[in-house]
Amino acid sequence: MSNSVFSVISRFVEEYRSSTPNKLKVIDAYLLYILLTGVFQFLYCVLVGTFPFNSFLSGFISCVGSFILAVCLRIQINPQNKRDFLTVSPERAFADFLFAHTVLHLVVVNFVG
Amino acid sequence: GKNCSCAWLFWWSVLCSASQKATIPVSNDTRDLLLATVSEDSTASQIHQSVSALSALGLPLASQEVVSALKARISKEDNVLAIILALLTASRLSQQAELGDILEEIEDLAARLDDLGGVYLQFEEGLEATALFVSAAYSLSDHVDMEPPLKEDQVIQLVNSIFSKKSWDSLSEAFSVASAAASLSNNHFHVPVIVSAQGPAAVSHSHPFLRLQVTDVLCQPLSSASVLAESASAVSSKSAVLSQALFTLRDGVFELNFMASQPASGYYQFSVAIAGDSRFVANHVELKVKVSTRVAINNMDLSVVDKDQSIGPKTTRVEYPTKAKASFMADGHQNFAMTFQLVDETTGVELTPHQTFVRLHNQKTGQEVVFVAEPDSKNLYKFELDTAERKTEFDSISGTYALYLMVGDATLENPILWNVADVVLKFLDEEAPGTIQAKTLYVPKPEIPHLFREPEKKPPTAVSNTFTALVLSPFLLLLILWFKLGANISNFTLSPSTILFHIGHAATLGLMYVYWTHLNMFQTLKYLAIIGSLTFLAGNRMLAQKAVKRYKKI
Repeated sequence: MSNSVFSVISRFVEEYRSSTPNKLKVIDAYLLYILLTGVFQFLYCVLVGTFPFNSFLSGFISCVGSFILAVCLRIQINPQNKRDFLTVSPERAFADFLFAHTVLHLVVVNFVG
Repeated sequence: GKNCSCAWLFWWSVLCSASQKATIPVSNDTRDLLLATVSEDSTASQIHQSVSALSALGLPLASQEVVSALKARISKEDNVLAIILALLTASRLSQQAELGDILEEIEDLAARLDDLGGVYLQFEEGLEATALFVSAAYSLSDHVDMEPPLKEDQVIQLVNSIFSKKSWDSLSEAFSVASAAASLSNNHFHVPVIVSAQGPAAVSHSHPFLRLQVTDVLCQPLSSASVLAESASAVSSKSAVLSQALFTLRDGVFELNFMASQPASGYYQFSVAIAGDSRFVANHVELKVKVSTRVAINNMDLSVVDKDQSIGPKTTRVEYPTKAKASFMADGHQNFAMTFQLVDETTGVELTPHQTFVRLHNQKTGQEVVFVAEPDSKNLYKFELDTAERKTEFDSISGTYALYLMVGDATLENPILWNVADVVLKFLDEEAPGTIQAKTLYVPKPEIPHLFREPEKKPPTAVSNTFTALVLSPFLLLLILWFKLGANISNFTLSPSTILFHIGHAATLGLMYVYWTHLNMFQTLKYLAIIGSLTFLAGNRMLAQKAVKRYKKI
């Protein structure tokens, strides 16, 4: 059983390494970074406590929001999805990404206290 | 004109008749004037004045005309005062006249009286109207010799109202009250009786007679009356003590030797009836009489009893009012006990007065502790002091306490305060307070400082520093990954829009930091608007250039 799972995973990793364009890998690295940051914040809350709760919420929401925006950017940039996003060029996607981030961080900084 | 002269003639005629001149010469004009006033067009007051003047001056008048004029005025004016004046006028007329209709007005007026709580009966027009009504009703009733339709309760309530004030607002009010008093004490039908005790309604062995004053409303003693105590029963036990006892008249006061029936001390309810005249009204009264007595203390025994009862108690007998010669000692192992009996001095019957207190007074510290002595089923009073149990009352202060017995009651003539003995109490020394403080109840209490909301417990700085480092560590990982992937900035063009965009972007990030530390939302939005629009324009340009480059490549 574990043999087949292991072989599936190694195959997936091989596929990923070979067929994913570099740009997407860059964004994937960024996604991993955001994910880890969020996990570590959550770990702190579980271990030490929720004081101050508003700071935790704002940090965690920031991670979640950034992750979502980055995923959207990745989807829009992926050349394989070009047919779904005919009106959106990669530059436009990136500009939207920046604007959404500005709004997100405005709210996050307001709430972090 | 006519008004003034009528009134003037009325008062003049009253004065003249009061001065008892047999005949007063009156001119024809005067007489005609008075007779002319008797008509439907004059007010009831004017008719009353002219009729009174005519009768005072001894002049003849047509009673029937007066009656019809009065009846007309009553139906026209229909107020209480007018009807009262009509009654007074009718009492001056000839007895042969048809006064039946006017007599009925008494009953109608009585129906108009207001009942206040079942105690008072009066017109809403006030005391004067009520008092005048009473005197008018009785004067007319006497004149026609017919009993007025007033029930006993109504008469009693009218008396309560009329004589409720001790000072009057005006002379006319005082006159009306005096006039009512005169009618009520001197008419053919109803004479209210006033019964009151002379002095306090209390008897004792030294004052065995219960004295009652029985008078009419003018406080004239009714010597012809016979006063009978129908029954007297104790308030507490409801047992009858007396039945059908006659009071004897002495010096205008009715008295009865109640102590001859040997009542026990306490309160008694008397029911007294006054007979002798069929006109008497309110001649049944209830009276509460107190019987006092003197108390004597018997068999006062003081003893110190050992708690484990290994040593028998030694009892000392003390006689009132002496004090025990030796003082008594009680510490934690012994109880101090006191028993006594309270009896009626004359009869020897056991008594249970309201107040039987035992007071212990420490002369040195001024402390005072009071206990209650309770009687048992055989009416023997017992008091026991357990020093260990009662140490809180004494504040554990050992010393000599003077013991007093206090006996008091409303029915006792000789309340007692007796210093019976001295008691030396010993408490455990370690429990005694260092300084003896007076028990102050009304000093300011200790201040309660306000407790501000305590800040929440924060984790130690080391922990939070560790986690800060942990949270920032993925950034390091990101840089490493990007380096490994070969992400670079080789496409970086040095066009002004690119530089401006990056500066603007950096400025936005800086603004976020400054917002966190210093600014509020409004200021931030203001700056963001400026920086943001610059960044947007530059970025737009930059991305457009990039897009063009991409198309060219493809």
